[in-house]
Amino acid sequence: MAAGAILSALARRRFARYALTGDSMAPALAPGDYLIVDTCAYAWCAPSAGEIALARDPRDHSRVIAKRVAAVAGDRVTLLGDNPAASTDSRDFGPVPRADLAGRAVWRYWPPARAGPLRALASCVSTSASVGKASSGGEAGSK
Amino acid sequence: MNLLDRILRPSRTASAHCDGPCGVYDPASARIAAEAVLSMAKKLGDLQGDDLATENTRSRYIAIKEEQAQIAKQELLILWTDYFKPPHLEANPGLHTTFWNAAKLCSRNKVEVSVEAAQALLDAIKEVHDVFWASKNRSDVPFYTAG
Repeated sequence: MAAGAILSALARRRFARYALTGDSMAPALAPGDYLIVDTCAYAWCAPSAGEIALARDPRDHSRVIAKRVAAVAGDRVTLLGDNPAASTDSRDFGPVPRADLAGRAVWRYWPPARAGPLRALASCVSTSASVGKASSGGEAGSK
Repeated sequence: MNLLDRILRPSRTASAHCDGPCGVYDPASARIAAEAVLSMAKKLGDLQGDDLATENTRSRYIAIKEEQAQIAKQELLILWTDYFKPPHLEANPGLHTTFWNAAKLCSRNKVEVSVEAAQALLDAIKEVHDVFWASKNRSDVPFYTAG
């Protein structure tokens, strides 16, 4: 009984729930998706290309962003949105330090019709080279 | 909010966003300005007489045409340089030409009083409208015109 309570408490500490906003991870993730994030995923293991990572926004550490890991070079992680036309990501702010990663999105539990594990995209590495260096402004421009 | 949603809703949010509020860009502002240009070109063509009152009206029409053509150009340039990104260009290799032509037509409408040039500008903005909404996977946004 006590062991169960401890395990449950540890699990709650390790796995955090996040609601997703924005379209930059479409079609894999949609605004309004509820995610379970393994906050310890990168404590022991390096991130791998294709995984959906949560990271502190390098321009505003109070905000957490969800992007896909496109490349890992040492301590620097390149994060890109699946929907590059509607994403501000490493094309704008460069690779983020691994220490800024907040976890790996492992499961979507809402909406029920799309609930299930979030798998890494194997093809992500090959696309990262072509879009990784592209410069772009976000939706916030001179307007 | 129902009970289930209250239980399931996470307290934290993760942002998968682009900078700034999405929806800040819309080719409609360029279209409205271009429509004013077209309207002024038509009114100038129809205006008869050279008395003082008519001259005053003509001057005002010309000023509005000049001003609105400039607004159309600014709105187009904002879309071109701020909204559109390299992946859009890959999907639409003619994107730069579309904007180049549209911006040039703004200038032409300043230089000339031409219904044909104003209509060409509106047509060019329709092209921008189509590319813009296609980039958002939207096919349900009509291109309204007042005329």
